[in-house]
Amino acid sequence: MKRRTREAIAGYIFALPIILTVLIFTIYPIFAAFYYSFTDYNPLNARNLETKINPQEALEFHLGVFQTDVSSVDEIKDYFDLLSFIKYDVGVNLDENKEKIVLENFDSEKLLKDFVEGKLNKEMKLSKFMSEYLKSGAKYFKRYIPNFLGLENFKKMLNDQYFRISLFNAFFYTVIVVPVQTFLALVLAVAANSKIKGVKFFKLTFFIPSITSSAAISMIFWMIYSKPGILNRFLGYFGFQPIAWLENPNTALPAIMIMNIWTTAGYFMVTFLAGLQDIPKSIYEAARIDGATPGKIFWKIILPLLKPQILFVATMGTIGCMQVFDQIYFLIKNMRNITISFYIYKNAFEYGNMGYASALSLVLFVIILSLTFIQRKLVKETY
Amino acid sequence: MRRKIKISLIISYIVLITYAVVSLFPFIWAFLVSVTPLNGTNPVTGEKFGVDIMKWPPEINIFRFPPKVFGVDATFENYKKIFEVVPYYSRWFLNTVLYASILTLGNVLLDTLGGYAFARLKFPFKNIWFTLFLATMMVPFQVTMIPQYNLMVKFGLVNTYPGLIIPKLTSVFGLFLMRQFFLNFPRELEEAAVIDGAGIFKTFFKIVLPNAKPAITALSIYTFLGAWNDFIWPLIITSSKEMYTLTMGLNFFKTSYYTFWQYMMAATILMTIPMIIIFLSFQKQFVETGKLSAVKG
Repeated sequence: MKRRTREAIAGYIFALPIILTVLIFTIYPIFAAFYYSFTDYNPLNARNLETKINPQEALEFHLGVFQTDVSSVDEIKDYFDLLSFIKYDVGVNLDENKEKIVLENFDSEKLLKDFVEGKLNKEMKLSKFMSEYLKSGAKYFKRYIPNFLGLENFKKMLNDQYFRISLFNAFFYTVIVVPVQTFLALVLAVAANSKIKGVKFFKLTFFIPSITSSAAISMIFWMIYSKPGILNRFLGYFGFQPIAWLENPNTALPAIMIMNIWTTAGYFMVTFLAGLQDIPKSIYEAARIDGATPGKIFWKIILPLLKPQILFVATMGTIGCMQVFDQIYFLIKNMRNITISFYIYKNAFEYGNMGYASALSLVLFVIILSLTFIQRKLVKETY
Repeated sequence: MRRKIKISLIISYIVLITYAVVSLFPFIWAFLVSVTPLNGTNPVTGEKFGVDIMKWPPEINIFRFPPKVFGVDATFENYKKIFEVVPYYSRWFLNTVLYASILTLGNVLLDTLGGYAFARLKFPFKNIWFTLFLATMMVPFQVTMIPQYNLMVKFGLVNTYPGLIIPKLTSVFGLFLMRQFFLNFPRELEEAAVIDGAGIFKTFFKIVLPNAKPAITALSIYTFLGAWNDFIWPLIITSSKEMYTLTMGLNFFKTSYYTFWQYMMAATILMTIPMIIIFLSFQKQFVETGKLSAVKG
């Protein structure tokens, strides 16, 4: 075998696991989400046809007699109501269209005959049951096909107040948290870059919040922010009345923002400090000899030289903040304070509107993409 | 001139020390609460018992045994108690260790193999795959989580370990991390091995892998930490308490024991300690290289 062929084979053997997992769990889902966003995909309906039933038991329940007490079809024919049997006793979700198919094509006689003969006493999936007794149109019950809605989901957003609220909150969150944490991280890095002792200690200390899980941090701050909590005690010394920070819709989101800044500022400080240490000391010295004030050194020298780090921190911060979820899930109790990713979760996994949730997630994707793009442009132009 | 420098130095110290206190204070407070005997209200008489855990100053005295916090003897009783009142806690610990370890193993093996292939080997459609992977990095998890969940439903893997683990066994971020490392890896070593007659596999496992330790360590920490702290995927995919991870467990504590601050803080501290230990033992990778970008996702 030629070396090139061997290399190609080895390459695929090496890369196949990751290619397959990314294909199945990331690339397929992206296309699926795109498709869902144009439909009314509902997980309960999707699973409906997969549920298993025992047709004999369902029919016994419907008729109110045991199979063993029945000897001919004529005895039970009059008690059998097709639609209510399929809908309530078998449990198939029917819309108008499907009702019509059932009424026109369902072979009730065969079903009742099988019942009398005792052939129905076995577990089967709803899809199989339907295909067995439908003379035609079984394909509509074979597998779940969500209704195609076109752009309906996207139109729905325009009139959805929670979409507006949650998107606004995510923006508000990002607009406050990203600049504050970036600036705080810069200040800390500049302070740590002077000739002080114990830089390592400070770096380690500042970093700890960022390696702690957001769940754990939420729990700790839940206690700190609670009405009898330490924050209210502290503010009480200055004569403030205690407030339930997280229950009050006006303070809940700012409280979480502060928590988020606290979590990430120290982490980004390390990024900036690494950047600062790459700047040669002679530059500051030259500036100082020329009589530049510390403020001028910060704005005119440090900031422009840290441009790549600032871009990185701002981009990472924006991506993280626009998607903020864990803290909101843990600490927000008021629908007025939810963010977009929480609303996506709620729609998909609590309301069962996976189609709408997918449409929302695509909107979030486009927004994050554009924000990153704008930041890149802005940073390039300002310096 | 000298005075000016001195003043700026003092300001630097004040800023750093203040922020160090701010960084540590919530953890210290959580720890103090976790070693305080339970307080609460007697449901029958309405009588309040126990100490005030929000008191300032917290009246700590460590110069006696047992030390005092909030004016009473400190105790580790709560740490024992949470395993009794929530028997699942040990199971959650185990689940989390399992989840984080298997993901770390999977990512180290598969991302490294992939990273090497993309850095060094020539195979058909390599560039197409590469571009495709790069594009997926920009897509937020909110987009893929819904179809991912539905896939798991289809495979019958909801609320199982494979369902929790398999979708996260590789990561594109890890792939790029490893690829970048191998691109900067000196070719001479591999070439020497090839001249000695070693095949591609032998070269990889005998020469490349042992020399990739720094990158593998970084990837391991990144993956382990991410899995340990992961919340949204366990939230979606697990439904029964046996399958929860620790972050889900905290959520359970929050809904079921929401007035028992001592228990909740003990559970919180307990799940945080392993991360602090890992952090302190690998501090170099964390704070010096700055390479572990985006730990918080």
